[in-house]
This record gives sequence, structure tokens and C-alpha cells, in this order.
Amino acid sequence: MIHVLILLWLSSQAASPDALSHLQTGITAEKEHHIDVAIAEFRKATDLDPNLAEGFMSLGQAYLENREYDRAIAPLKHAVDLKPDLLPAHQLLGYALLVEGYAEEAIPHLERAHETAALGIAEVNAGRLKEAVTHLQAALEERPNDPDLLYYLGRASGLLSKQSIDTLVAAYPDSARAHEAMGENYFVLRQMPQAEREFLAALKLRPDTPELHLELGDVYAKSSQWDKAEVEFRAQTKMQPGNAEAAYRLGSALLQEGKAHEAREQLIRADHLRPQMPEVLYSLGKAAFLEGDTAAAEKAWIDLLSIEKESDLAAQTHFALAGMYRRQGKTAEAQHEMQEFQKLQNITPGQPPAGQQQ
Amino acid sequence: MMKQSGPKFLFAVVCFSGLIFCAASPQSSILELTQLKGLNFVLQNSPTTQKYLIETMPGGIALLDYNDDGLLDIFMVNGGRVLDPMKTEDFDRHDPRYWNRLFRQNKDGSFTDVTEHAGLANAGDGNYGMGVAVGDYDNDGYPDIYVTNYGKNTLYHNNGDGTFTDVTEKAGVAAGGWSVSAGFLDYDNDGKLDLFVTRYMEWDTKHSKSCGAEWHTYCPPEEFPVTTNILFHNNGDGTFTDVSQRSGIASSKGRALGLAFADYDDDGFTDIFVSNDGMRQFLFHNNGNGTFTENALEAGAALSQDGRRMSGMGVVFQDYDNDGRPDIVVTELPREIFSLYHNDGGGFFEYRSLETGLGVLSSGSSGWGVGLEDFDNDGWKDLFVAQSHVLDNVEDIDPSLHYKQLPLLAMNHNGRFESVDPGTTVPAASRGAAFGDLNNDGWQDVVVSVLGGAPQVFMNRGGNQHWLTISLRGTRSNRDGYGARVRVNGQTRYATATGSYLCSNDKRLHFGLGAAQTAKIEVLWPSGIHQSLADVHADQFLEIREPEKP
Repeated sequence: MIHVLILLWLSSQAASPDALSHLQTGITAEKEHHIDVAIAEFRKATDLDPNLAEGFMSLGQAYLENREYDRAIAPLKHAVDLKPDLLPAHQLLGYALLVEGYAEEAIPHLERAHETAALGIAEVNAGRLKEAVTHLQAALEERPNDPDLLYYLGRASGLLSKQSIDTLVAAYPDSARAHEAMGENYFVLRQMPQAEREFLAALKLRPDTPELHLELGDVYAKSSQWDKAEVEFRAQTKMQPGNAEAAYRLGSALLQEGKAHEAREQLIRADHLRPQMPEVLYSLGKAAFLEGDTAAAEKAWIDLLSIEKESDLAAQTHFALAGMYRRQGKTAEAQHEMQEFQKLQNITPGQPPAGQQQ
Repeated sequence: MMKQSGPKFLFAVVCFSGLIFCAASPQSSILELTQLKGLNFVLQNSPTTQKYLIETMPGGIALLDYNDDGLLDIFMVNGGRVLDPMKTEDFDRHDPRYWNRLFRQNKDGSFTDVTEHAGLANAGDGNYGMGVAVGDYDNDGYPDIYVTNYGKNTLYHNNGDGTFTDVTEKAGVAAGGWSVSAGFLDYDNDGKLDLFVTRYMEWDTKHSKSCGAEWHTYCPPEEFPVTTNILFHNNGDGTFTDVSQRSGIASSKGRALGLAFADYDDDGFTDIFVSNDGMRQFLFHNNGNGTFTENALEAGAALSQDGRRMSGMGVVFQDYDNDGRPDIVVTELPREIFSLYHNDGGGFFEYRSLETGLGVLSSGSSGWGVGLEDFDNDGWKDLFVAQSHVLDNVEDIDPSLHYKQLPLLAMNHNGRFESVDPGTTVPAASRGAAFGDLNNDGWQDVVVSVLGGAPQVFMNRGGNQHWLTISLRGTRSNRDGYGARVRVNGQTRYATATGSYLCSNDKRLHFGLGAAQTAKIEVLWPSGIHQSLADVHADQFLEIREPEKP
């Protein structure tokens, strides 16, 4: 399309007819995927008419198609020098520079071409994170769920977050927030003793910091220290009685400790605070089942299955229902739930689950 | 009919007596880490940088009275030499460092290494040792030994004169591949012990690999293909027939490690539970006609409470809550929690790790050998688990986990487990755990195998509660009485030496009686014969002989 417009426009300009002829031949060859022929023709066109910006642009584009990004840069640069308002040339040059790692240099060309997606990526690579987030979000509005854009937006946001944390830790190394941030880092790295140390230090400095008990509780939960996790989650629910996640975490910890009654109280609270959360419903069903309240367990699990039908949690719920029905002597229902479970897990009785048959 | 004898306090565990050295541990523990004189053994697992999986899996222990002198002897399975890397599969088992070892218990409680004299010295250079099973397969009154290997397995017939003969070839039980736990059982109730062998996976040193990227560690089981277990039928003439296909056992391929037997549905036939690593567990229901149906999923004993597959390692199949039905405990990796499947009757199990307290006791641990034994003789079976992570560099990968761990000792209070001091403060790379009354004092002891180290022996300090230990003498049934269900004052034990991981336990059935000074005993023999004994005095070793006629 670009080439057609170029030719239409050039035909009304004072370009050399010989050069235009080679340009036309090159464009045809390029369409037929004879890139080497196209390159040769574009070179002849630019040799014949050194002021033919469109010729240089076409040459650069052909190099790009041939994945010779380094060779594309010079003709494209020449094209924009000859004709600074030739936006497709800016766009192509921006791409070539970006691919070759010259992100900073690519940015003005991509800006000129209003190419927000590539611009956002170039800004991530150049460390201009705030601008990158803005441009990538704009690009995602046009191309929702594009995996590359989602990746780069995530990366930009992560790096931006890291930048803020690095600044925080450098400026206020002994602050509660710095310790909290360090704790979060260690948690991600699964270095639980270090994470515990940092969260405890943060709590000592600022005991009223929201979420700190929750984070420390998560550290204990991750290392299966359920009694300690319970203490922290309880502290969080005391500080923030409206925090559904804290109520859920406390309920889960209590469940792990076999304290079904208390667990159930917290899980009911979590369900009231944020209704219809599948994880809460699953645990609520477990707690009710442990207490012998099979009607409540069944209700929670069936509620869950009305929300989630094909996830791992749905499979777990079918499995739990099968166990409960089996215990109740409801053989047909138990078999049905087990079949649903097997369907989701892809298990054939008497054979290993899928992925294990070798 | 039955032979009674007074309690044999052959020795009391006396610290610093010269015979026994007691390691320092708080007085509060009922078990005490003890060094037995003469038990000189180091389990040579030979870890290499190649991270060959076999290195992290041995080794078995058997507690048996091989010379019928009334004292438990100890047989230890050794690993072998592993070169780094292995070019040929020669584990140098002719080198005495890599022999399996038989230790005879002397009257003074010390042990003497009788390996060479007993004819057990060379385990075969192509074999890397794993586990052991004990049973009197020819009903001659002397326990025979079956050793599992990576390589070929070995059956040693007990000649009754203190020596053994390798009869593997004649018996036809060499198997092959990577065998792990094994056990003798009489699955068809014909009075002759058959043999079940678990196998881990399709693996050999040439097709080994390491995993974990920068951490370079042992691969998870999913990296290697599944394989079959083996069932050998005892022909009664010193030979066995591989009936794995015919019986249906071979139709379920897995990655088996642990093995335990019990009749879970009370139909008179022994069923088989196999713990599998990284997948669902197997429960082979004995159909009573020589075939088995794998129905763990249908019975509710295949997966965790959340329907997740597990890293099943050790297993025990006994009644923990005194309801008369055998339950199952499977030990696993950290974060999975050990699974307790309560036998609800009717052929169904219910997952009860959380309610029983086992969940919170095990969520950070990695368990191997396991036993349900009444250590304090209060009438409730307690839980002992040998613990250690599979990966010797797990701390590098996840600092919150540990390679060497303390064992778990959890006392059973009316069906709920509570952790107590296990009798040691020294973490170890533990694997197998065998249970029995080493010093015949009426209190259960434990021997644990340790990778690269000496075994840990936990002697029971004893107390004031009463007890009863029963030896079964089958006549119509197999001579060991394996498969009998024995009830004593409301407690039930299923007669077997199999359970735990790689190990063979004291075949005698131990019961704690609490304050009771007499016991009512009921025995249901594999032959179908019921036998009852009333007002039996406590605190004795009692042999019960099966009536010749119903």
C-alpha cells in the first residue's frame, strides 16, 4: 500500500524516469518476495537519483524484510534527512534502530510516526518507564491482550516499582517502608528467614502499617509455621476488620491447624466482606465439612461451581463433593462428582494421570 | 496350644554401662537415641555430582530373629560404590565397605557382625542396595531374607544353622530394574507366603540426568517413565511364579516406593497399598480369586484432600483410632502434609490429616520410614516418622527447608496426634525406619537408617503401663501368621512385617494395655479360623498357635 501511494505521488514529481522505473521493478520484485532483486533495483534507483527519499526508504524496508536491520538503518536515515516529513520512513527507521538496540535514538522517530506500541517498548529499553507505561497502555487500548504489549507493560511497571523501591531504600534505609520492601523482595525470592527479619523490623518501627501482619503471616504460611501465621493474620484482622483477604488467610491458617470451628467463623466473615470469592467458598466448604455440617459444605461448594467450572479449584471441589457424598452413602452423586473430577484432571482409573504416561 | 513365658528383661537400657551409650536427650522423651555396642555400620550411598537418583534412596533395615534365640537381630542393607560418573554399573559390592550386614544380638545386648559367617557377604557387584523383606516362605520356622536392589534382587534362604543360601535363581525372584520396598504376604490364603516387590521407575545410570538448572540437583520423578510392580506367587516347592500380569498388578504402572498390607474391607483377603511418588497412590483390592483391582481413587485413598497427587514415600496400614479397621498413613514431601486415610468401613476411606493434627505436624517435613506403634503402652498407636529431604542441597534452593531433619514422634491421644520430643536433637538424613522390641522389655524401639552414616537406634525408656506381645504360629495358615487380624482389648493389629519404607519390622504383634493387667485376645487367622483367649496376663511374650482344626 505504501509503495502504491509512493509511486502515485512520485509520478507527479520531478523524479528521474529511470530511477522511477527501477523503483517500480523493485516494488514488484518485493511483492513477489524476491527481496534480493528488490534490493538491487532500489539501489539502482537511488544511485540514479540520490535525492529520491522514497527510493532510500524502499531500500531500507527491503533490508528490514530481509532481517538485515543494520543495513537498513543508513538508507532510512538518508530518507528522513532528504524528506523529514516522510512518516513511514521514520516508522521504519524507528523499528530498525529499536531492533538493533538503539532505543534512545529510535524514540524521536517513533514519536514522529505516532507508533505508540514500539515507542512504549523503546522507552522501556531506554529506561523512560513512566512514559513507557503511558504509551503501552494507549497501545493496549488499540490492541487489547496483545501478549508482547502486556509483557512490556508488566516489565515497565515492575521496573518502575523497583526504581521507587530502590530510591526508598537508598534514601531511607532504616525506615519501616524500606524494611517492608526488602521483606517483599526476600519473599519473592523464597528467602523466608530474611523476609521474616525485614517484616519484623518494619513492624517494630511502625506497628500500625497496613498489610504488614498479612505479609509476615504469608511468610509463616509459606514455611508451614501455621501457629505463627495465625497470630499475624489475627493481628491483621484486628487492625482491619474489613479486610476480606486477612479474614480468608486467618481462616485458612486455622483450617491447616485443624481448628475447623474458628476457621469457619473467619471464612464466613470473609465471604460476607467479599462475596462469591471461589477460594473462600472452597475453604468454607472444607471447614463446614470438617465440622460435620455437610449441608453448608455442599452449598459452599455448589456456589463455587456456579462461578468456576473448569479450573483446578473446580476439579478440587468436585473431588471434595465426591468424598462427601461417598461418606453420606450417596453413591450415584459421588460417582458423578468423581467423573467430573476425572474429566477435569484427565485421569483414567488404573492409569497414571495425563502427563505421567510415558 | 499356646506357650507363655515371663517378660524377658534381657537387659535394661542403662546409660554408660559399657554396653550401651546413651546420647544426651531430655528426660521428657520416651525414646532415647542410643548407640548399641557392636552395631558398626555405615550406609554407603556414595553421593556424586552426577546426582544419580539411587544415591538418595537407600537403605532398608530388618529386625528379625534369624537364629531363633528369642533376641532380635538386625540386618542392614547397604548402597554401593558409585563412580562419578558411572561408566559401567559396577557398585563394587565385593568390597566389605559395601556389604549388607547382619548383626546377631548377644545375650548381653551387644551385637556381633556375622555377615560373612552367615553367607551374606557379597551382594552382587551389579546391585545397588535398597530394601529388605523378611518372611518364612518355606514354613520351616526360620525367617528368610529378600533384598531389593537397583539391579537384581536376592532371596536368601535361612538354613536354620546360622547360615543363609542364595536361592534367587532357583526361586525365580530376581526381578530386575529398580526395586524398592518388598514384603511377604499370603494373598491367596494357601498357607504359603507370596512376595510383592515395588519398583520405582524406568531409570538407569546411562539415562540419568540432573535437574534444577543452576542448583544441579536430583530430578523429580516425573522426569522418568513409570513402571510396574511385581507379584510372585509361592509354588510351595521353593520356586515362585511371576503373576504380575495374571493378577492385574502389572496393569497399573506407577512410581512406587512404599508398601503395606492389610485387609481393609474385612473380606478375609490381604489387600495391598503402594505409595507412589509424584502421582496418585495405589490400593490393590484383593478380589479373592487371585486377581486384584486397583481402586484407590474410588476408595478415597489416592490423592490429597484437595484432589492433588502426592509424593508418596513411606506407608503404614494399621488401625490408629481403635475402631477395628486398618487406616493408612503416607509420608510425603514438605508442603504436602502426610496423608492419613481413615477407614470408614464399606471399602471407603476419608482423608483426615487435618482433624487428627497430622497436617500441622508434617507440613514442613519430608517423611520416609513410618510406623504406628504404641510407644507409651497406653492403648493407642503413636506415630514415628524418619524425616529428611530428598535433595541434599535443598537449603540452596529453598532456605526454609532442610535436608537433615529430626524424626517426628507424635503421641496418639484418642485419635489425635501431638508432637513430642523424639529423643534426639541431632538432625539426620534418615530414610528407613524399622520397629520392634530390641531388648524384649515390652516397649517398642526404632532403628533408623541414615544416608552416609551409622543407623540411629531409639531405645524406649519404658514406664509403668502394661503390655502384651504376641507371636503367631500358623499351622493351616502360613507359619508367620501374616495376614491374621489380632484384637486385644479393643485394639487391632494386622499381622505383617511390612510397612514403613524399605524395611521389615519385628513380626511380633505388640499391644500397650494401659492399666489393664489382663487381656482378651481374638485372632482371625488367614485360614478363616477364629481363636479367642480370655484373661491373658499382661506383660508377657505370648505365642499363639493356630488350631489345627476350626
